[in-house]
Amino acid sequence: MSSHGERAPESDLGLLDATMIGMGAMIGAGIFVLTGLAAEIAGPAAILVFVLNGVVTAFTGLSYAELASSIPKSGGGYAFVREVFDDLSSFLMGWMLWFAYMIAGGLYALGFAPNFLELLHVYDVAPAPDAVGAVSLPVVDAGIPAAVLLASLAVFLLVGLNALSTAASGSVETVFTLIKVGILVVFVAFGATSPMFSSAEFQPLFPGEAGPLSVLPAMGLTFIAFEGYDLITTVTEEVKNPRENIPKAIFASLAVTVVVYLAVVGVAVGTLGADGLAAAGEAGIAQAATEFMPTGLPVIRNGGAIIVFGAVFSTLTALNAVVIASSRVAFSMGREEQLLPSFGQLHHRYGTPFVAILASGVVMLGSVVLPTQSAGNMSSLFFLLSFIVVNASVIKLRRERPDMNRPYELPYYPVPPILGILLNLLLTGVLVRYLLRTDTLALLLSVGWIALGAVAYAVHNRLRASEATDGDGRTTPGDD
Amino acid sequence: MPSHLTIIIAGGGRVGYQAAVTLDDRGHDLTVIERDPDRCDAIADEYVATVIRGDASNPDILGQAGVESADVIAGLTGEPGLNLAVCMEAAELAPGIRTVARIDSTERAGYRRFVDETVFPEDAGARVAVNEIEGSDVRSLADVTGDLDIVEIRVEEGAPAANKELRETRFPAGTLVISDDDGDRVARPDTTLTPGKRYVIAVESDVADEVMNLLRG
Repeated sequence: MSSHGERAPESDLGLLDATMIGMGAMIGAGIFVLTGLAAEIAGPAAILVFVLNGVVTAFTGLSYAELASSIPKSGGGYAFVREVFDDLSSFLMGWMLWFAYMIAGGLYALGFAPNFLELLHVYDVAPAPDAVGAVSLPVVDAGIPAAVLLASLAVFLLVGLNALSTAASGSVETVFTLIKVGILVVFVAFGATSPMFSSAEFQPLFPGEAGPLSVLPAMGLTFIAFEGYDLITTVTEEVKNPRENIPKAIFASLAVTVVVYLAVVGVAVGTLGADGLAAAGEAGIAQAATEFMPTGLPVIRNGGAIIVFGAVFSTLTALNAVVIASSRVAFSMGREEQLLPSFGQLHHRYGTPFVAILASGVVMLGSVVLPTQSAGNMSSLFFLLSFIVVNASVIKLRRERPDMNRPYELPYYPVPPILGILLNLLLTGVLVRYLLRTDTLALLLSVGWIALGAVAYAVHNRLRASEATDGDGRTTPGDD
Repeated sequence: MPSHLTIIIAGGGRVGYQAAVTLDDRGHDLTVIERDPDRCDAIADEYVATVIRGDASNPDILGQAGVESADVIAGLTGEPGLNLAVCMEAAELAPGIRTVARIDSTERAGYRRFVDETVFPEDAGARVAVNEIEGSDVRSLADVTGDLDIVEIRVEEGAPAANKELRETRFPAGTLVISDDDGDRVARPDTTLTPGKRYVIAVESDVADEVMNLLRG
């Protein structure tokens, strides 16, 4: 036990567990929720979208591997940037990453709802998702869309669970991930052998007048699917022999993820067609599955139910993961005195970062009223921005601390971090342009969040400065 | 003083490394400066501290370790002169940093002009060794300053003070019985020194064997 009452994490996660944590974050919710949306923008090229994102993000993966092996801190990107950059930059990094995770939470909750309705529909408990209207509330005398209601319930449930008890261990995550991957393998196996797939039509690969460039905005939207590294590095201290296992886990999880995406999206586009997939939106994969999976089975009745269950299960576990991840970022920021100290304290009774979890939950609840696509766009935007900073940290650290011990050194320095920065910048630019045209709400909210951060930073620093003058004088801004 | 300190340790040998492990357990931020590449790798494997490879007395290396923003620097290499130099350089580069130097004798007073605290690890090591050698009946808990020891002693059956109340026992000047039996309460005049029970006692070193005689026989 440390002086903060923080639990000293035990290093009991192996390479497999660490890889599974990364894969668990990258495979699952993203693939179930975003495939349809990507197909809407890029058509059959949605397949390419995910592969290219894997390539882009591999450069950032290298940077994460080097930082994680040489900076012995759990806490992910924020912890690394905090080590390298000054107060304001690291605050912004934490602020952006926190938001990215919270909005991702909203996204997963929004993805959970239609898939859950689809699951109920498969068992004839509810009518088809598009036939479920607003649920009228007797008290407020206003209708709330069923999806928003369900999404809010999911957030409430998981925030509550995490606030009241400490998170399940990484080993549970391994089981969850294996279930998800197993379900996807079933999906791919049935899809690839179904008659629908044999007549698959991937032409034209790039529909519409935008041509190949239509891939770029879709990449921006789905970039969120690849935030898994940050999650791996938030548990580094719990991993055995981290300086070897973390880089391996990062690359292994990325490689497997890209292969799985390729197979799943290929089958989905091949069977349902890009248009059908796009029409199904957040429930794209689930709907594709109900088309070609065998029916009339005992107990589960409809083979598609497995996949729909997989989608429900994935979105819920992903939601759980980002509730933990977002609260960890806020918790670290509180401990570094970049947010109110109460964010960095464990609850005396529940032993959880209570305030950080509740605050994250509030923003997540707010975000479930957004359209799914806006949530995806905003979350991706903030992950892109924070990954730029992570790549920059590697370069800054190499220049300022050449003699630092780096158990893992990324190859061909400085090419990978520079490419990482450029490609992430490119995607950011494309995404912002796309948002300007189609989703100004998301853009305004993003700018608003950063502005809110700037205000919070200024106010917090003013408070600390005035405390410092009549206190111990140590906590003046900029001196730590 | 915040509970969360940024600490630089110069020297990742036995003393520096053990200090780093304990400080990491307590949740502090650590940077270790170490010259030997093999030691660097060993520390990196334990994943307790950021490791800078180099000579800690080199100002550039101190800069890389982030001396400007550190709360404490501890020179814990096996060379007292180097430790002293590191601390003084750090104090020059970052006024206000707390400095701790490992020295090689109990003569601490002379160093006080240059560093905030001194450490003589052999002293602590010897205390632990003495505890183990004597067995569990007498344990030195800490030496506070100079000549004062805080020890925990189990009263032996048949010892002169056994079964006596404190008010009727004449301990030599320079002794203070702190705890009641088994440390439940602070000792009072009517506290009985029961055989088999343990008592925490502060004792000056020149009367230690007299106290030992009274309690252990």
